[in-house]
Amino acid sequence: MHNVWLIARREYLERIRAKSFIVMTILIPMLMTTLILGAALLSSRNGSMNHIAVVTTDPQFATDLGTELSTSAKARPSIDVHALTEPAILNQLDAQVKDKDGKLDGYLVVTPAAAGAARPTFKWEPKIKSDVIGRARIADAIRAALTRERLTHTGMSSTEVDAMFDPVELGAVAAGGPSANESAVAFGSAYGMFFLMYFVILFYGMNVARSIIEEKTSRVFEVLLATIRPEEMLAGKVIGVGAVGLTQVGIWIGVAVALIQFQLIGHDVHVLPTLTQTFFFIVFFLLGYLLYSSIAAALGAMTNSEQELQQMNIFLMLPLIACSVVIFSIVTNPESMTAKVFSFIPLCTPLIMYTRIVVGHPSLFAVTLSVVDLVAMIAAVLWVASRIYRVGILMYGKKPNLPEIMRWLKYS
Amino acid sequence: MPIVELHNIRKVYGSKIAVEGLTLTIEPGTMFGLLGPNGSGKTTSIRMMIGMTMPDSGAVSLFGKPFERQSLHRVGYLPEERGLYKKMKVLEQLVFLGRLHGLDERTARTRSMAWCERMEIADVVNKKTEELSKGMQQKIQFIAALLHEPDLIIMDEPFSGLDPVNATLLQDTLVDLRREGKAILFSTHRMDQVEKLCDSIALISRSKLLLSGSMREVKSQYPRNHVRMVFQGSDAFLQHPCIESYKNYAGHAEIVLKKESAAQSVLAAAVTGGTSVSLFEVMEPTLEEIFIENVRASFGDAEAGGKVDA
Repeated sequence: MHNVWLIARREYLERIRAKSFIVMTILIPMLMTTLILGAALLSSRNGSMNHIAVVTTDPQFATDLGTELSTSAKARPSIDVHALTEPAILNQLDAQVKDKDGKLDGYLVVTPAAAGAARPTFKWEPKIKSDVIGRARIADAIRAALTRERLTHTGMSSTEVDAMFDPVELGAVAAGGPSANESAVAFGSAYGMFFLMYFVILFYGMNVARSIIEEKTSRVFEVLLATIRPEEMLAGKVIGVGAVGLTQVGIWIGVAVALIQFQLIGHDVHVLPTLTQTFFFIVFFLLGYLLYSSIAAALGAMTNSEQELQQMNIFLMLPLIACSVVIFSIVTNPESMTAKVFSFIPLCTPLIMYTRIVVGHPSLFAVTLSVVDLVAMIAAVLWVASRIYRVGILMYGKKPNLPEIMRWLKYS
Repeated sequence: MPIVELHNIRKVYGSKIAVEGLTLTIEPGTMFGLLGPNGSGKTTSIRMMIGMTMPDSGAVSLFGKPFERQSLHRVGYLPEERGLYKKMKVLEQLVFLGRLHGLDERTARTRSMAWCERMEIADVVNKKTEELSKGMQQKIQFIAALLHEPDLIIMDEPFSGLDPVNATLLQDTLVDLRREGKAILFSTHRMDQVEKLCDSIALISRSKLLLSGSMREVKSQYPRNHVRMVFQGSDAFLQHPCIESYKNYAGHAEIVLKKESAAQSVLAAAVTGGTSVSLFEVMEPTLEEIFIENVRASFGDAEAGGKVDA
C-alpha cells in the first residue's frame, strides 16, 4: 500500500503543479459560460416569431392568437392585422416574406368557412420553410385561440376561460410516497450523475491511459519495477491521475455551489438532495470512476501509442451509452427485471444502482452486494491490466498465453 | 553465504530461447562481470535475478534464500535503458526513488544530498531533469540505485556514454563499495574495464554460459604464449619459426607464440639481430581475445563476423 501511495502522490503533485492544470481549471468554465451565455443571447435575439402578419376578417382572433403565442414565446410577437378584403395585400406580404432582409417572419391567411359553425381554413407562409417548431407553435396557438373564441361564444366570461387554460398542478401523491419535488430531484440527480460520469470519464479516464503509455515510452518503469509490482504501479497511477480529475471537477462544483449560494447565478435550485442520496452519489461516483479508470489503465497497458488508444476509446463509452438507453425505463419502473439485471452488471452498477436507490427501494443486501461486486471488478481489472502491462513491456510485442500468466502468479 | 545463486536457469520467449542452463554464483565483496555479445541473454538473466520476469525452470536465490520480493530492498539496479521523470526536479526524483526502496523521506533527502556532493552534481539538485546533460542524468540514475545502501548492486552498462573523468569517478565509487563488502554485478562490452575491475566473470553467448569463474581461474586455462614488445630497429626477428602470428604497429608488436617456452629464444633472436628492446612482456591472452575466441566458436566462424562486437 505504501508504494501505491508514493506513486499516486508523485503523479498527483506533478500534475497539479503543472501550468496546464491551472490554465484548464480556469479556462474550461470560462469557455463553457461564454458558450452557454452566447448561445442563449443569440437565440433570444433570433427568435423566428418576432413579427408576423395575419390576414383575417376577425381582429379579435388576431389578438387571441397573439396572447397564445406570447405564452410559448419569450416576448409577445408584434402582429400586423390586415383585412382580407384588400386583394393586393397577399402579393405584398409574399414579397415581404421573401425579402431576405425583411423583418416579417411569416404571414397567416385565415379564410372563413362557408358555413357559420365550421372551422375557418388557415394557410401559414413562413420566411424560413424549415422552421417546424415555429409551425407547430402557430398550429397550437391557433387551436387554443379557436377554443377560447368558441368558449366565449357559449357565454363564459374571459376570467373563467383563463382559469380553464391554467396549467394543471399535480399535488402530493399517496401519503408516504415521494412528492413531486422529490421525484424531480431524484430524476435530476440520476441524470446529473450520468452526465458528470460521462464527462469525467471522457476527459480524465483517458489521462490514466495516456500516463501509462508515457511511462512505457520514457522507460522509467524499468527502475520502478525493480522494487514494486506492476499492479501497485497501476493502482497508484489510477488513484493519482484520478485524484487530479476529481480535484478539478471539485473546484468547478465548489465554485458553482458558491455562486448559487450567493445568488449570483440561477434561482431555480430549490430542493437539495437528501443526505442518503448525497452519500450514495459520492460512493457510486467514486467507485464508478475507479472502475472506468482501471479499464482505461488496462487499455493503456495494451497499447503503445495514443493513436491505438483512440481506437479503444469506444470500449469505455459503450457501457455508458447502454446505461443512457435503459435509464428511462428504470426511472419509471425501478424494480423491473431490467433494472435488477443492469444494477448488477459492474460497468452499469454505479449509474443504475444509484438511480434505483434514489427512485426505488432496493434492499440493503442488494446495495451491499452491488458495491462488493464493483470493488471485486475493480481489483480484477487492475490485476489483469498489470499482467498485460508486465508482458507488454518485457516481451517486446509478444502476446501472453495462459500458462505464462499462471507462472507469474507464483511470485506475486 | 553467496549473494546471488542461479541454478540451471532457463527462459524461453515463444520460440526464442533467451537463456538456457545458466548457473552462477556471486559472493559478497566481489565485482562480477557478466559478459556477452548483444542479444546473448544478459539483460534477461538480470531481470530474472530481480523478479521482473520469472524463469521457466531453475532456481533463483538471493542472499541465501529462494527469491522473495522482500529481498529487493537490498538490491540496487541501474537498467541499460535509462529512464527518469523528465519534468521532475533532481532532488525530488531521488527522494521519490529512495522512498520506493523503503527509505523514509528525511533519510532519502540527506543521502541524496550527500551522494550528489560525492558525484559532483550538488549544484543542479533543484533543476528539472530534462535540463541536464546525458552524463549528469546517468549519474542521477547511478545515485538512485545506491541510495538505499544495497548489498547487491546490479549495473547494466554503467559507464556507457560517460567521459573519462566521470567514468573514473563511477569506477572508483564501485571499487569503494566493493571494499565495504557489497557484491557488484555489471554487464559491459568494455573488456579493459572488466579486466581491471572484476574478480569474477561469466561469459554468455547465444543464451548459453561459455565460461565462468574467478578471473585467475579463467585466465589460467589459457597458455602464457602472448608477448607484448616495444622495440627499435630491425623487425627481422618476427620471422622466427616459433612465432605463430604477430601484429606489428611500428615498434609495438603483439606476438602469439607456438608454445610458452619459445619466449626466451624469440627475445634472444631479437637482441642478436641488433634490435633494441625496451619492453618484453610474456602474458596470458587478454580478456578481449578470450571473449572473441569463445564467442566466435559459439557462433561458428562463418557467422561470427557480423555478430560479435566486443
